Amino acid sequence: MSYSDTFAYWRYRLVPDHMLGELLSKRWIDNAIPLLVLIFVVSLFGSLIPDFFGSANVTNLSRQWGEFGLIVLGLMIVMVAGGIDLSVGSTFALGNIVALTLLNVAELPMPVVVAATLAVGATVGLVNGVLVGFLRLRAFLTTLVTLIIVRAIVDMLLLKYSVRIAAAFPDSDAWYYLGEGFLLGIPFSAFAAGVVAIVAHLVLSRSRMGWHVLATGGSRRSAHNVGIPVRRVICSTYVISGMLAALAGVLFASRLGGAGADTGIGLEIAALTGAVLGGNSLGGGRGSAAKALIGSISVMIIVNSLLRLGVTSGANSLLLGILLLAAVAIDVRWLKNLNKVLSKVYVSPAFAALPKAPGTDPSSPYAINDKLGGVELIGLGEIDGPEDVILDADDNIYAGNRTGDIIRFFAPDYTRHEVYAHVGGRPLGMAFAKDGSLLVCIGGMGLYRVTQERDIEKLTDETNRSWVSIIDDSRLRLADDLDIAPDGRVFFSEATVRYEMHEWPVDGLESRGNGRIVCYDPSSRTTRTVLKNLKFPNGICMTHDGESFLFAETWACTVSRYWFAGAKKGTVETILPELPGYPDNINRASDGTFWLALVGIRTPSLDLALKMPGFRRRMARRIAPDEWLYPNINTGCVVRFTETGEVLDVMWDRAGDNHPMITSMREHKGHLYIGGILNNRIGKLKLDGADESWTGPESYWGKP
Amino acid sequence: MIAAVARLTDKIFGRGEAAVTVPPLDGALRPNQMLDEAGKRFALADVDCLSVADGKLLASAGDTVFALDGRGKWKQRLQAEGQISCICTAGRGRLAVALANGEILIDGERLGGARINCPIALAEAGGVLYVASGSATNAPDDWQRDLLERNASGSLWRIDVASGKAEQIASGLAWPAGLAIDGNSIVVSEAWKHRLVRYDLANPGKPDVLYHDLPGYPGRISRAATGWWLAVFAPRSQLVEFVLREPVYRKRMLDEVEPAFWVSPKLRSGSSFYEPLQGGGVKHLGVVKPWAPAMSAGLSVRLDEAFQPVASLQSRADGSTHGVTSVLEHDGQVYVAARGDGVVVRLPTSAGGRDR
Repeated sequence: MSYSDTFAYWRYRLVPDHMLGELLSKRWIDNAIPLLVLIFVVSLFGSLIPDFFGSANVTNLSRQWGEFGLIVLGLMIVMVAGGIDLSVGSTFALGNIVALTLLNVAELPMPVVVAATLAVGATVGLVNGVLVGFLRLRAFLTTLVTLIIVRAIVDMLLLKYSVRIAAAFPDSDAWYYLGEGFLLGIPFSAFAAGVVAIVAHLVLSRSRMGWHVLATGGSRRSAHNVGIPVRRVICSTYVISGMLAALAGVLFASRLGGAGADTGIGLEIAALTGAVLGGNSLGGGRGSAAKALIGSISVMIIVNSLLRLGVTSGANSLLLGILLLAAVAIDVRWLKNLNKVLSKVYVSPAFAALPKAPGTDPSSPYAINDKLGGVELIGLGEIDGPEDVILDADDNIYAGNRTGDIIRFFAPDYTRHEVYAHVGGRPLGMAFAKDGSLLVCIGGMGLYRVTQERDIEKLTDETNRSWVSIIDDSRLRLADDLDIAPDGRVFFSEATVRYEMHEWPVDGLESRGNGRIVCYDPSSRTTRTVLKNLKFPNGICMTHDGESFLFAETWACTVSRYWFAGAKKGTVETILPELPGYPDNINRASDGTFWLALVGIRTPSLDLALKMPGFRRRMARRIAPDEWLYPNINTGCVVRFTETGEVLDVMWDRAGDNHPMITSMREHKGHLYIGGILNNRIGKLKLDGADESWTGPESYWGKP
Repeated sequence: MIAAVARLTDKIFGRGEAAVTVPPLDGALRPNQMLDEAGKRFALADVDCLSVADGKLLASAGDTVFALDGRGKWKQRLQAEGQISCICTAGRGRLAVALANGEILIDGERLGGARINCPIALAEAGGVLYVASGSATNAPDDWQRDLLERNASGSLWRIDVASGKAEQIASGLAWPAGLAIDGNSIVVSEAWKHRLVRYDLANPGKPDVLYHDLPGYPGRISRAATGWWLAVFAPRSQLVEFVLREPVYRKRMLDEVEPAFWVSPKLRSGSSFYEPLQGGGVKHLGVVKPWAPAMSAGLSVRLDEAFQPVASLQSRADGSTHGVTSVLEHDGQVYVAARGDGVVVRLPTSAGGRDR
């Protein structure tokens, strides 16, 4: 290897470029900037203010945060549903004065006071909710008006009761516990906010109610169209917001015990800043309890620390306003650019040097010829993309097509056909089980079974999630080919976990080991990943010893053997280490050897590009996929080889008229049947000297 | 300084100079299949340059010049001692022939002692022969290497036919593949810069750009009844433009890969499965799409008197008339030589459209 190749090898081996794209594709990455802001705020004020991390300051801050956090959580829920609630500050003040009045003037017990105050908050929320949700008024204007009205009510109550409130001293430990007590060493208000946050998180992310809220915020019209009661959902978010604001008011009342005209003034701006700074989108549909927590803590620390540093309150508000503007701007830019950046960085090619390709000149075992020139054509123009073909005991042909059907061509002349089963997805590899049912790998869906009664059953569509994977690799994206072991276990390949079926060229461009081989055990109905990090594993075929199978790795241009039982259990041995092209399906031949389809031939220009990941990455970014350098899948061939890796025969279609690309071939009673995933015909070729009674199912399961 | 920084950021983000853009085939260049649909096709392997002498169509192929007889058969007219790179009439029925080795012959006689490296285009007016040298380092058939090396080392020469004295008019040209005398000026097609430029013959200084950003590599120019014919010998493609901006890959490809399998424009592509394949070129249901990106195509453009495109004759990715190296109007018919497919096709002049 040259110096530059060695450098590229280590560079792309040591730096996991693909992880950046996977990180950006996670939904929780939205929290990245808010979290950075929080860390910055904590470290800035932690260093500016002496004793910032002291227990007194932390307790004091967290107690205040508990109240503020509840308000932000309520506002977050409203915002997620696509609305806004400006009345939270007034409702907070109302909660404060109502709680104090009920306690000090009416002298009600603590639980009743709390319940009644929450009811008052809920009532304010209900007014908002009915106006905005059911009467469809503008949220901004409506809650602005309620802000003023509720503030007026607070002022009236103040005028009437403030003297009597100030004069009374309630003798209730339970009441003071709310504002001054600790639960598990945490100030009660912070504990309450924490509990509410956890509940909000679970409801939003795991419950039908939460999904309704998110869906409504994401697209109100679509949510309405799928039958979500949009108006009720919106109304209920305001009720929750009002209740949480009132609860914060109760906690505040218990802590300070006094009612003033300035209680809750400007609180809505602080709460809004907290919610937006945390990354909750003003447009709705995006938000979480975690975001509300992060944002509210940041704002709480900023406001309090500025006070302690002696910054005047005007400057404080100014700063909050600037912060709100900045947060909105960042949110808009993030939303706009995240997918753009993601689409640019997700594709991350690897260094994938291939061994020197064997030639196709007359001296090579792969010498080009025209043996496929004499194929008979089946279903020309009637079938769209038979990736795999298989024949049953009655000589009928089964083949998948692009529109998600399994087509059956009737023996003996194959001029008639029917839709044997409509499975959806993209039927790829097929195999007959012992009971005569047809097992199919379906791209985009998983492993399925079509019984002889034509019932379609899902066998599996997920496997165990690997711990180190950032993207969720438990779902099967591209189940490709399968074979069945004598004990009934099904081994199947999944070509890639990073891309969808139609994106296979991008996986080829990456040429990283994104694929795996998975085992489905019908006895326990479990699915486990057997082999990982394979380069587009494709064809799978059981050997005759009952302990191992052969598998092809398309982008690595190799065929390997894996032992799943016996003395060599768990070992992998590459038996065809260098192929002139890209291997696809493998199937048994009648004489104990194996057939291998080469879907395309390696080109020197692409082989060179495989050693230059940066070149491929730029190519993916700068030119259209139709213009990309592809593996040459316009020419393929069929190879017959032995378990020991000896190539016995090669069959080409030199002109490429009938079989430009070959993805599968199946021997049956002295003939070879050939399929291609982008072809519109099945080829049938007479094999000289082949056993004319041999069939695939008998080779696996014996004579019926 | 700022320009250097801008170039660097452009390179990283693929903007400006580093952006891969190829003009679409539109307007006068709207895709059509007229070359494939032409009624008459005269096969001639490796046909390259067309000319007319004694009322007969001449075509060079390899080391031979053929004449087309009345029954549509090629008759040998002249055989040279080496590969012929271009031919042109040199007045009074005489024929000028340039060989790939740099010799210039007039009716078989060597012209003076002049030897122009890589002569790829000829034009004659008033006893003066104009010769375009494609490159200072590469031979005519190494045009792909010259493109991939991003050379601009071609030059333009004036040779007095009577005395054989040669004089350089212009230099630093990026593969001047076609010449046309237009009054007191000469129009040159600069292939690697995808443009036509005009030099004033009396005062050849800075050229005027007549037609720029062609979607292909312009080659030979010839006179039409009104206006001009331009042969575009290969299409530009995004992939090639991208490779041209990738110096490391380009250098390794030139060193390590056989020329026939390079990522580069060709006169005929798809003849081997070792050639690069692009995504859109994958056969679906046994068919190559006509819009498939390809390294070769057939394209000849009819220009008006001001060298602006009026109409075009084309053969698309799935066509069989690729690599148009020469177009000639003769006897009220248009002859198009497609070197990639070794064929000369004949169409009525009306196929070329009218001046606007």
